Amino acid sequence: MHTFQDPQFGDKVVTLMAALVLVLQIAMAGQRWIVTNIRIFAAQSFLLAAMAFTIAWFNHAAHLYVAAGLTLLVKVVLVPILLERLVERIGIRREIDPIVNAPLSVLISGGLTLVGYIIAESFQRPEQAGVAALGHNALAVAISLFLIGFFMTINRRKALTQVLALLCLENGLFLAAISLTYGMPLIVELGVLFDVLVAVLVLGILVYRIRETFESMDVSRLRRLRG
Amino acid sequence: MILAALLFVPLAAGALSAFARKRAWMEAINLAGFAIAFVLALVLAGEVLRRGTVSLWGDFLYADHLSALVALLTTSIALVCAVYAVGYLRDDEQSGAIEDEPAAKLRKYYTLTPLFVFSMLAVVLANNLGVMWAAIEATTLASVFLVTFYGKVTSLEAAWKYAIIGGVGLSMALFGTIVAYYSAQHLAGSGELSSLNWSVLAGRAAFLDKPAMRLAFVLVLLGYGTKAGLAPMHTWKPDAYSEAPVPSAAILSSVMLNCALYGLVRFYVLTSRCLGTEYPGRLLLLFGMLSMGISVPFVLVQKNFRRLLAYHTIDHAGIMVTALGIGGKLACLGLMLHMTFHTVAKSLLFLCAGNVYQYFHTDLFHKIKGGVLRVMPLTGAVFLMAILAIIGMPPFSLFQSEFVIVRAAFAGGHAAAGGLFILFGTGVFAGALLHVGSLVLGPAGAPVAPRRPWRDSSLVVLGAVLIAIGFWLPAPLLDLIRGAARIVTGD
Repeated sequence: MHTFQDPQFGDKVVTLMAALVLVLQIAMAGQRWIVTNIRIFAAQSFLLAAMAFTIAWFNHAAHLYVAAGLTLLVKVVLVPILLERLVERIGIRREIDPIVNAPLSVLISGGLTLVGYIIAESFQRPEQAGVAALGHNALAVAISLFLIGFFMTINRRKALTQVLALLCLENGLFLAAISLTYGMPLIVELGVLFDVLVAVLVLGILVYRIRETFESMDVSRLRRLRG
Repeated sequence: MILAALLFVPLAAGALSAFARKRAWMEAINLAGFAIAFVLALVLAGEVLRRGTVSLWGDFLYADHLSALVALLTTSIALVCAVYAVGYLRDDEQSGAIEDEPAAKLRKYYTLTPLFVFSMLAVVLANNLGVMWAAIEATTLASVFLVTFYGKVTSLEAAWKYAIIGGVGLSMALFGTIVAYYSAQHLAGSGELSSLNWSVLAGRAAFLDKPAMRLAFVLVLLGYGTKAGLAPMHTWKPDAYSEAPVPSAAILSSVMLNCALYGLVRFYVLTSRCLGTEYPGRLLLLFGMLSMGISVPFVLVQKNFRRLLAYHTIDHAGIMVTALGIGGKLACLGLMLHMTFHTVAKSLLFLCAGNVYQYFHTDLFHKIKGGVLRVMPLTGAVFLMAILAIIGMPPFSLFQSEFVIVRAAFAGGHAAAGGLFILFGTGVFAGALLHVGSLVLGPAGAPVAPRRPWRDSSLVVLGAVLIAIGFWLPAPLLDLIRGAARIVTGD
């Protein structure tokens, strides 16, 4: 059998990419530079799109190609561009101000990964094997992503970094969808991606206005002192 | 066709308002749009009563009694709030409450409100559970900028809380939806769009994967529970309700709550048919009791009347979830009655609170020092009546629905839940009556307010409806409510 049709090969590729996605997620939880964080998010989304593409290839699931393409467009291109622009406009570079410090964050993320694997156990179906089971390994990673994203939203105090954490949660969901069911029906996937895009816009405007309001508050305080 | 029209009208109204030049045009577009939507919802209710279900585009849009009931409530409150908003926003403009860029703010209000209503109608008309999720998320996105309407520091904070807590909560609901989709994957026809349709899943619920449905229900309960403001995920609610302009707060507190509960009810039906009523019932009772219990101390010590109403909404979300948790014919009938009555009474309360707030320029009890009844006779009287209604005084309608729910609790062997229900109900009763009584009664502390035709007329209409439904429910509406309850119990 040709290598590119061998489901075992596909399984290895998907598992490898899932592992990389998880590594990126933990890296994101443990570092402080906001632009780097956005780029890691873009890289992670790219890997997810690639996983969707691989699963689509081995299962001949046409709608999953579309989902992969849309993910590429929205989460690898549009959302990172929007976020980097926002960072430039409000002029911050290093804003992540976590409650728990970086080493401990990584440790907690590791613990949550363990929890993810335990939860994913209950979804193992031994009767399914071969092509149909492709991507089931990724479920544990998806649940870990979700849990770490959850932890990141709680752990971060600043507005913009919470948006990033929310996006990571969503990445976990996308991975869960492709690994459990080869993606949701296309129209649902479309609706979700549209919501993600609008949410980033809405939250971006909100971040900008929060920043603006608080800066102007500082300015008024300076004036008062002068008088 | 009726389903597509019902979705199209508010969407078109939103789009037209975005391009309208004058305020009068925006007001007219909104009023006309919501009036047409209300008529369409009535027609839909008629169709559903005649034929059972209405569907379009290969079951993509689907309406049964439950959807028709929620759609009718949504459009009727949207219409009343649109009338109210005309007077409310004109007053705001004159008093300088929206001084910087009033034109842009008005456009924002008149564009986002129809979009908000559109997304709520999409929630109840979407058959696919994934599309329903996307629509519920869209209700959050459409209403975030309504919360920031006044652009104050506090409203930004409230909007942020609303968006982030809502976003995280709804991501859990999406996870639940994915797991529910997975639980049906071994059945024939999986992978197609229709395999996530509620109407399809409800028919096959007994064959769904049981452990997966167990997990799915927990996730969806947490997710849509956050959107409904169940404790302990309720913290965004008092902030958002007290910062949003009053007509938006009225819509948020009554009909958006219905939409979140609607999503929960749809999943409850699937879960109870798959696993029996005990498992989802216990979880629902837990969250319902927690919500009712948490709201009691906050209602008792509340200083701000809009926040008081918000905690009151948390209490009522708890009541409705408790009714669903009790299950059975009687409790589900109580749930649907309560949803209807609560929608009318709570939006009326917010509109009254808006009148008081705009006249006194504060929403703190101690600054107003009572006497609203003398200063604003109509608003004061309606306010007092609505608060008596919502805390469950007979002869008002909410007494009946709460009585039905308590009876169902004792009859169904949930004596502890029934007892706590009465205990918490008494606490809220005392707190709300004390606060609103001291606000409304007493000597006048300000000159008598002038008449305000737009706002007063909407108060009179909604107040008359509230009195009427205490004594007499029109037969078609009662049929609709009964039909909605039958969908939950499945017979």
